Amino acid sequence: MSNIITTIARQTFKTAFSNKATLALLILLGVSLCLATYVGWQNYKSQQNQRLHYKALVRAKWLAKPDKHPHRMAHYGYLAFREKHELSFFDFGIESFAGVSIFLEAHKQNTVNFSEASFANGMLRFGEISVAMVLQLLVPLLIFFLGYNSISAERELGTLKILLCQNVSWKQLLWGKTLGIISVCLAIFLPLILLTILLWASLSNWQINPDSSLRLLMLILCYSVYFFIVSAITVLVSAYQQSSKAALTTLLACWIFFMVIMPRITQAIGDKIHPSPSKIEFADAIAADISRQGDSHNPNDVHYASIKDSLLKAYKVDDVKKLPFNYGGYIMAEGEKISSKIYSNHQRHLNATFEKQNRLTLLSGFLNPYLSLKNVSMALTASDFKTFVDFQNQAETYRYGLAQKMNKLQIDKISNNSPGETAKPLAISRSNWAQQPDFNYRFSHLGTILKSELLALASLLCWLTLVIIMIQCTARWVKTIPNQN
Amino acid sequence: MNKSIYILEFKLFFRNSATWMGIILLILMGFAGLYFGKTFIEKQEQVITKAASLQKQQTRQNIAHFGNDIGLFFYHNKFSLANTPGAWAAFANGQRDVNPYLISVTMLGLEGQLYDTDLSNPLSLLLGKMDLSFVFIFLFPLVIIAFSYNLLSEQKESGIWPLLKAQTDKTFTIIWRKILVRLVVIFVLALLLMLVAGIYLQLPFDGTFATVMTLILLYLAFWFAVAFVAISLHKSSSFNASALIAVWVLLCIVVPASLNLLLTKKYPVPEALQNVINQREGYHEKWDMDKSVTMAPFFKHYPQLKKYPFPEEKTFSWYWYYGMQQMGDDSALGSRVLIEKKLASRQNFTETVALFFPSIQLQLGVNELAGTDLDSHLNFQQAVRKYHETIRLHFYPAIFTNGELKNTDIENYKLEKYVPKDVPVIWINLLSITTLTVILAGVGYFSLRKRI
Repeated sequence: MSNIITTIARQTFKTAFSNKATLALLILLGVSLCLATYVGWQNYKSQQNQRLHYKALVRAKWLAKPDKHPHRMAHYGYLAFREKHELSFFDFGIESFAGVSIFLEAHKQNTVNFSEASFANGMLRFGEISVAMVLQLLVPLLIFFLGYNSISAERELGTLKILLCQNVSWKQLLWGKTLGIISVCLAIFLPLILLTILLWASLSNWQINPDSSLRLLMLILCYSVYFFIVSAITVLVSAYQQSSKAALTTLLACWIFFMVIMPRITQAIGDKIHPSPSKIEFADAIAADISRQGDSHNPNDVHYASIKDSLLKAYKVDDVKKLPFNYGGYIMAEGEKISSKIYSNHQRHLNATFEKQNRLTLLSGFLNPYLSLKNVSMALTASDFKTFVDFQNQAETYRYGLAQKMNKLQIDKISNNSPGETAKPLAISRSNWAQQPDFNYRFSHLGTILKSELLALASLLCWLTLVIIMIQCTARWVKTIPNQN
Repeated sequence: MNKSIYILEFKLFFRNSATWMGIILLILMGFAGLYFGKTFIEKQEQVITKAASLQKQQTRQNIAHFGNDIGLFFYHNKFSLANTPGAWAAFANGQRDVNPYLISVTMLGLEGQLYDTDLSNPLSLLLGKMDLSFVFIFLFPLVIIAFSYNLLSEQKESGIWPLLKAQTDKTFTIIWRKILVRLVVIFVLALLLMLVAGIYLQLPFDGTFATVMTLILLYLAFWFAVAFVAISLHKSSSFNASALIAVWVLLCIVVPASLNLLLTKKYPVPEALQNVINQREGYHEKWDMDKSVTMAPFFKHYPQLKKYPFPEEKTFSWYWYYGMQQMGDDSALGSRVLIEKKLASRQNFTETVALFFPSIQLQLGVNELAGTDLDSHLNFQQAVRKYHETIRLHFYPAIFTNGELKNTDIENYKLEKYVPKDVPVIWINLLSITTLTVILAGVGYFSLRKRI
């Protein structure tokens, strides 16, 4: 039984390579893959080095600041750069459309700016070639070209009935053809994986991070499943369609619909159903909430008036200047606490809206294996939406920590009596600055990612099950002899 | 005689179910593109309207909170400039989803505020907008391929071709007629969609409309020329379908996508990050320096402000503060110019390569005409710079003399709208597509002549 399958698979493999056009296509694809790997890696390196360079510069400048009032340091703030994951050279994902640097200062949450897209003109909208793009979009096209006539040609030539008479079952035939086609793909995919691993290992100076290795393994597994699904679909279409030509046109139409049209439409509908607020609406909603809870900028604010009263009462003094700590710092810490909590709530809500927009595309994975793989691939290479949100959250946590640290220094170390109009401004020693650690983004672990990508993985698994069932049961529905008309 | 043959050809063409599928697909997607393109722009217009009322409200609130400290008021108060979408923006959304269309800035350092983005979903940005220009650039060529790949090969495969050849020596005319029928159907469809777009999006039927129309028809003619070359090779239907799809994949995905990668590698923009650092350091370091370090270059920049006496003895004055903010912008001038240069060379690179690839050419052309390209955004940034400078110069005297806010005309300030003045000329785009189409059509003609 398995012997027949391997024979068919081997035969399919050989025929594919004997065809000059296929060979040319394979070589072309192989070359573009190598190119995508090489340039992708170079871009990763230069962009990552750029960010690390500025990260170090920002740190050095922070430490070199002279003695100052801590609140000046809070406004001087920090610049955080979104680091790239070492696997992001494989799949660019949203990399080019997400900002790179964010300015972290007291009282104010800024946007992540300077995405590659903001420096680009319309050409960027055609996409960027990466290893993932070649594997997701172009390899399926190659599979279609390889396999569209795998069964239909046998039927047209009349060899199909001969095969089936010679003790070959439909199941064996379909499995054999599918495996034959997938082995052609693997013939170019496997060397590439080795190349990728080598490149990546050299990228990380041969110090391989176990989490990233697991990510890479998972990537390889998912792409293999994807190729299997696409190969099986190709063979099945070839079996069902009456002629090779019909099979080819069906497959090409599917490719266009599922890979070109559908992603845009699902996302456009998602955006339409769940509209997200513009920045001014977002900021206005936050400002409204803050003024409801207590606005430290409003001199007549009730919340701060009551804080003042209770402080005066507790310390039994009649003026805030007589308090044993810096009153201004105390109020700013309170303001930061309130505003940052409100901001984070709104930000969480906004991200939930974005998640809802993306949900339709995610769910479409059950109709479109390309979309499920795309989601999984971006997540595994940390170039997805969730990683970006995670960066924003970590940056905001850092910003809050920095602002409150400076407020604390002010409360503890700055005199409560403000100096006269012409006196020297109050300051604390620069040795305090080193207490604020550098910002380091931490990528999530594979376990967290797999948990959050459960839906996409499930859809991929559904597709795998579906095509296996189809191969197993096809014999009941397909015709061996072409219709005579 | 001739007329009735054409009628027969049309009948034959419309009897094919694939024809109707192609037509229905284009109409449906065209309408979807119009709908999504329009709603996207309408939302931006609503936001701009809302921003106008919000700005008024916030100015009033700022006056209430900080009205007795003019320097503090301008520290908080924001002025907005909106890049109002033109009529064509709904047709080609371009980069309007990536770049902010509403920039609100305070009188403080501009370089720290100018590049703030809007809130957007990066996945939506990645997958791209669904507008009518997408349908023209990506889907029309596919339908052209579907209509014409088997134009000759089908005749051969069904055995009609030898019969035809035996009956007439005008085989070239027969093929030409078939192509013409398809060309007319596609052109009529394109015109129809443009007409609907004109009405639905309220586009003025003017020179711009004619230019866009010409550009699109030329682009479609280019794809017919590509299909014509494939037909002229006398290969099988399957070969033609594969080859034409491969060309489409090359022109609409692989080539532009590779060029993007090359562009990023060739022209990285680290200056942008340097710019942020320059601005930030240029301003903040001044707090720890002698006031003259700030004020000497400030008065050199604005000699007309020297007449307002600077309170040297005070530890803090708004005069000094705004001077320091100005120093942030002045320190970033060098890196800012470098960014502009880098972006110009990027634009140059794209325009050069686009000469050889009509898909890129059409995209750039319609975005430019719609005012949704990078250049339009850079012009908008320049307008913000100018507006910011006007506001600074207008209110500096009041701040520097510690004037009363109520004596200024701040209440008259409202959201301003930026409207680009000049209509771009895109004859290079037209010319390059025409040239490529003519060359390909010529190649197809001779190749077909040779093989018939």
